[in-house]
Amino acid sequence: MARDPRHDILFEPIQLGPVTMKNRFYQIPHCNGFGSEKPLNQAYFRAMKAEGGYGACCTEYCSISPESDDTHRVSARIWDDDDIKNLSVMCDMLHEHGALAACELWYGGPHAPCMETRAVPRGPSQIPSDFEHLTYCKEMDKDDIREVQGLYVAAAKRARTAGFDIVYVYGSHSYLPQQFLTPYYNKRTDEYGGSFENRARFWRETIEQVKEAVGDTCAICVRMSTDMFMGEPGTQLERDCVPFVEMCDDIVDVWDINVSGISEWGEDATPSRFYPSGRLLPWQKRIKEVAKKPVLGVGRFVDPNMMVEAIESGCLDIIATCRPSISDPFLPKKIDEGRLDDIRECIGCNICISRWEIGGPPLICTQNATAGEEYRRGWHPEKFSRAENADNDVLVVGSGPAGMECAMVLGKRGMRRVHLVEAQDDMGGIMRWVPQLPGLGEWARVVNYRRIQIDKLKNVEFIPNTELDADGVKDYGAEIVVVATGAYWATDGLNGCTHDTIPGADASQPWCLTPEQIMRDGKEVPGDKVLIVDDDGYYMGPSLAEKLALDGKQVTLMTHLGHIGPYMHFTLEAPNMHRKLHKLKVEMVTYQIPTQMEQGKVTSAHVFDEEHLTDWGVDAVVLVTQRRSNEALFRELKDRIGLDALNAEGITGLYRIGDCEAPRLTADCVFSGHRLAREIDSDDPATPKPFIRERRVIEREEAGSLTGAAI
Amino acid sequence: MKIVVCAKQVAMLGDEVEFTDDGRSVDTDYLEFALNEWDTFATEEALQIRERLGGEGEVVVVTAGDEDAEEAMRRCLAMGADRGVRISIEGIADRDPISVARALAQVVEKEQPDLVFCGVQSADAVQATTGVALAELLGLPRVAVVRELDYDHDAKKARVSRELEGGLIDVVEADTPAVLTIQTGINEPRYATLRAIKQAEQKEIEEVEPGDLGEPAAHVRRMFVPAKGEGAEMLNGSPEAVAQRIAEIVKERLT
Repeated sequence: MARDPRHDILFEPIQLGPVTMKNRFYQIPHCNGFGSEKPLNQAYFRAMKAEGGYGACCTEYCSISPESDDTHRVSARIWDDDDIKNLSVMCDMLHEHGALAACELWYGGPHAPCMETRAVPRGPSQIPSDFEHLTYCKEMDKDDIREVQGLYVAAAKRARTAGFDIVYVYGSHSYLPQQFLTPYYNKRTDEYGGSFENRARFWRETIEQVKEAVGDTCAICVRMSTDMFMGEPGTQLERDCVPFVEMCDDIVDVWDINVSGISEWGEDATPSRFYPSGRLLPWQKRIKEVAKKPVLGVGRFVDPNMMVEAIESGCLDIIATCRPSISDPFLPKKIDEGRLDDIRECIGCNICISRWEIGGPPLICTQNATAGEEYRRGWHPEKFSRAENADNDVLVVGSGPAGMECAMVLGKRGMRRVHLVEAQDDMGGIMRWVPQLPGLGEWARVVNYRRIQIDKLKNVEFIPNTELDADGVKDYGAEIVVVATGAYWATDGLNGCTHDTIPGADASQPWCLTPEQIMRDGKEVPGDKVLIVDDDGYYMGPSLAEKLALDGKQVTLMTHLGHIGPYMHFTLEAPNMHRKLHKLKVEMVTYQIPTQMEQGKVTSAHVFDEEHLTDWGVDAVVLVTQRRSNEALFRELKDRIGLDALNAEGITGLYRIGDCEAPRLTADCVFSGHRLAREIDSDDPATPKPFIRERRVIEREEAGSLTGAAI
Repeated sequence: MKIVVCAKQVAMLGDEVEFTDDGRSVDTDYLEFALNEWDTFATEEALQIRERLGGEGEVVVVTAGDEDAEEAMRRCLAMGADRGVRISIEGIADRDPISVARALAQVVEKEQPDLVFCGVQSADAVQATTGVALAELLGLPRVAVVRELDYDHDAKKARVSRELEGGLIDVVEADTPAVLTIQTGINEPRYATLRAIKQAEQKEIEEVEPGDLGEPAAHVRRMFVPAKGEGAEMLNGSPEAVAQRIAEIVKERLT
C-alpha cells in the first residue's frame, strides 16, 4: 500500500547544522543494557530501527569520563580509543541504512555513583544526590569547571572519530548542565551561580567549546528539561529555558526538549497509566516559538496523524520516539507504506525502562519480543523464516498474551495450520480484564495488535468458546500441541512471604475475593472496608486499591514488602501511583503479613516481629498474594495420557508457554510464546537455544601472557 | 434422510480494490476467499438434524465454481458433511443467480433430498436470489430467511419461523422436500478440529458438468467506485456537543 499523502511531511528531509536527516523520525537517546561494552548487541539493536526507517538513532546516555560512571546502571562510555572502536560499529551500521548516528554526551555529577571506577564526580555544589542515595559530588572550583569542559570537548572529538553525526551536550534529567542551570542543585555564589546568566554560563561555555571542536562536521544537539514541576528551586520554562534557548540558539543546531528531573523522570517517560501521548507538546511548543533551530522531542507518539499535527501546529520539527521505537522499530516504514494496522503500538507500561532502573539487564518490551534479541538471538521483528517442520499442524490451547504471540509467530513461520483454541468467547486471556483497571486502557493494545495480525494470517484460525480437555487435545489432530492456559490468583492466601496459605483465607466465601473474581467474573465486593493483601509487588494490588477506592470503598493496602508496589518504582509509576492512592485516602501498610482471617476480621503480624499482632476490622479481603499456573491440562496430557500415547496419535511435540509454565510479567509471557515459535523446528524446542553472550573470551594458552595493570 | 446444502465460496475485499481491465469485475489479486458465512449456519443446521435423527442419512454439499471453490466446500466437509458435488463452472463470479440456480437444480434433482438448505444470501453478491430461484426451478416449497426450524422427518413436514421486516416473525409449516434459506444465528456453527479438517481432505468431491445454464438474467456491464458526494459535515467538539448536534440534525431531517 502507499503512504497516505497527509503523512508526507514526516518524510521531508531536514537540515541540522552540517548534516541532513532524511526524514522526521528520530530515535531519542534511550538505554538498552548494552552500552559500549556489548558493541554488537548495541549496533544491531540501533540498526534495526534504521532499517525500519528511522532518519537518526542515538546512543543511550554516553559517559564522557570515568568520573561519570553510572554503574550499576549501564550507560555507553566514550572514555578512550577502544570505546571509539566499539561505538563505531553502531555508527557504521546506521550509516549503511542512511540514518544519522547521534551520541548523547553525559556527565552525571552527583548522580553518578562511580561504583566501578571509584572516581569522585564533580558538581556545581556539594549536595547529595536526590536519585542515587549515598552519592555526593565534589564542588567544582574554576579549574574543575575548565577540566570538565575539557572532558566534554575530548569526548566530542572521540564521538566524531567514531563516526557520530550529532553530538549532544545533554542537560536534562538533572545531569550536569541542568544542575548548573537549576537552583535546586546550584548553590554557588560565584559567576556560575545566582542570576540566570550565571547559572547558564557553564552550559553555554560548554556548548561553545564543543561546537568549536566538532561543529564543522557534527550537528550540536542540546537536550533540555524545561520543567521540574517543583516550583522555585526547579528548572523553570519561562525563567530558565526560554531565555537559554534565546541565548544559545546561534550555537545550537537542534534542540531536544523534554521535562523532569531524574528522581521523577516518569514525568518525561510517562506511563500510559497517567498520561496520554503528546503530553510534552505544550513545553515543546513554547520552545519552538523562540527557537530558530529545529526542535525535536518525544511524546510516546504511535499515531502518524498526531505526529503530523505536532509538526503542523508548530510544536515540533522532528518526531522523536523512544518507547514506540522499541515496540516497533519499523514504525516509520509502516507509516511510509500505509500499513498502519501493522504498527505494534507501545502500551506505555514502561517495562523497558524498568530494566535500566533495576540496573543492568537488557531491555525487554511487552509488545516486541525481539527487542534486545537482534544480535544475540538473531531475531528480526518483521522477518520470519519458514519452519523446517512447517508441514505440521499446531494446536495452541489458550489465547492469552503467550498463546496469541505463539500462534501469530507460528503462522508467520508458515506452519500448515495453527488453531488457537480459547475457552472464553474472545482472545486475550488476562489482557481482556487487566486493561479495565484504572488507567490501563492502552494495555489492550497487546490483544489488538495480535488480533489484527492473526486475522490476516490465513493459516491461523481462532476458535473461541471451546474448552478442550486432555482427551480433546489428544484427538484434535495436531502434530504439535502448545499449552498456554495461563495462571490464577491463589484463592487461599498462598504467598511468597510465608510460602504457605493464610489460615481462614478462602475466596469461595463472599467476603474473600481474588483479582480475577472482581475484574473478570464480576464478584461483588461486600461492605465498605476492604483490605487488599498484596504480596505480589507490582501493579495488581495498587490498581485494585485505586479501583475500589474510586468505587467508594475505604481501602487498606497491606504488603509484607517494604514498599507498596515496589516494581512500580522501576516502571516510574510509583510517584504518581502514591499520589493517587494518597488522595483517595487509601491506607498503605508495609511489612505486615496476615496470620489469620475470618469474615469481619483480619489479624496481621509485623514481618520482623511476629509477636507484634494487629487486628483489622474489614468487610472484605482481596487476595493479591501470588499466582499459580493453570497446569492441569498440561499435567493430564503429560502424566495421565503420557507422551507415548500422544505420539501414537501423531503428536510429536507437547510444550507449554507463559504463565501456565510459571507466572511472570506479560512481557515475558509474550517472549515465551515468541521464543517457542521461533525455535519450533529446533532439536529441542522446549529448551531455549543458546544465545550469543557478548563477552571477552580468553584462550587458556594466552592467559599466561596476559597481565593486569602494572604493580 | 438426505439434506443438500448449497454452499458458495465468497470473495472478500481487502483495504484496496482494483478492477479488471474490462472493468466488469474486481481483480482477484485484491480478493480473499472464504466459505459464505450463511452457509456455515446452513451446514450446521443440516448436521444437527442428522444428529437428532440418530446420525442416519447423508449431508451432501453442492457448490458451483472452479477447482478453487472446493476449498470452501472442504470447510463444510470438515464440519461433518459427508460428501461434496462441485458443478464445474469457470468464472462463476460473473454468473447471475438464476444461471447458478439452474446448475444447482440439475444436481438437486438427481440427489432427490428430503431438504435443501441455502444461505439467505452470499456475502459478496448479497442478492438473496439463488435459493428461492432454485425452489422455483425445482417446483418445491420454499421458505426464506429461516431463523428456527423443527423438522419432522416421519411426517415430512417442517415447522419454520422466518424473519420478516420490522422484527416480525412468521411461523409457517412447509411440506418437504422444500428449499429453506437459512439465516445466521439459527444455531452456533461448530468449529472443525484439525483432525476433521484432515479427514475432510480425503472425502469425495464429485465433479459434474453444468449442463445448459440458459440465458443469463443479468449482466455486469461496469464496476466503479462511486464519486465522492458533497455536503458531508464534520462534527467536532466535546462528546456532549457532538451528540447535541447529531440530535439536531436528526430532528431537522425528521420534520
